[in-house]
Amino acid sequence: MRHTYLWFLQLVTGVLIAVLLAIHLVIMHLDAILGLFGVDVADAPSWESMMGRSIQGVWAGLYIALLAVVLYHALNGLRGIILELAPSATTERIVTWVIIAFGIVAFIGGTYVPVALLAG
Amino acid sequence: MKQIQPRQNYLGPGGWVWAGKYKLERYLYLLHRITGLGILFFLLIHLCMTTIFRLQGQDVWQATIALLQNPWFKIGEYLVCVAFVYHALNGLRLILQELGFAMGRPTPPVYPYKDALRKKRPWTITLVAVIIILALVFFYDFIVGGW
Repeated sequence: MRHTYLWFLQLVTGVLIAVLLAIHLVIMHLDAILGLFGVDVADAPSWESMMGRSIQGVWAGLYIALLAVVLYHALNGLRGIILELAPSATTERIVTWVIIAFGIVAFIGGTYVPVALLAG
Repeated sequence: MKQIQPRQNYLGPGGWVWAGKYKLERYLYLLHRITGLGILFFLLIHLCMTTIFRLQGQDVWQATIALLQNPWFKIGEYLVCVAFVYHALNGLRLILQELGFAMGRPTPPVYPYKDALRKKRPWTITLVAVIIILALVFFYDFIVGGW
């Protein structure tokens, strides 16, 4: 793929992360403020609350989407940093494939848990 | 005829930590990269915790949550939080400017010239001020003890 498309995706995922991560952080840390609006997240990092969210399709979908965009944004950024050292074409190809492989492994690992919990 | 030296201002990997006489935006870019790498490091730990540890059941999960109450982890959490805020807001600035917003109107090149960087500078400085204020607010919340 042309680098301009990768860069444009970097911008798009950046905006998506700003939205999704904001939801994630507010749920996890601003429970007192959410309480003022009548939303009860019941101590979000606790086991019961976390499992309660895991078995809801909306939350599982939201977290899988967050994982996908975060992995793309992080690994594409890391690749950009490495490629700035102007390595040879072979090294560049190796770096690219190692990063793609790592991203796929991390995505499968991160998706397995909510999917397994959803399946019961 | 004077020979043009290629990549005269190329700093190499040294430029990843020190940008010499370059201006503010270059240092914001350096911080953007450092915070990005820091968040990536945090992401790996976070993913390990939320996948491997979670599969081992309730006890391991609760022990991990209890471990995170450690003051050193609180400091780490604070750093990650500030890095997030910085990376998000500076990234927003980069996206807006990449797409051509907040650059001011084009003006004829009459002396004294006003280059694009200087036209964008007020926004940039406002942004830095917002980030510093947020960092102080989070410092109060995470380190001092909060509300």
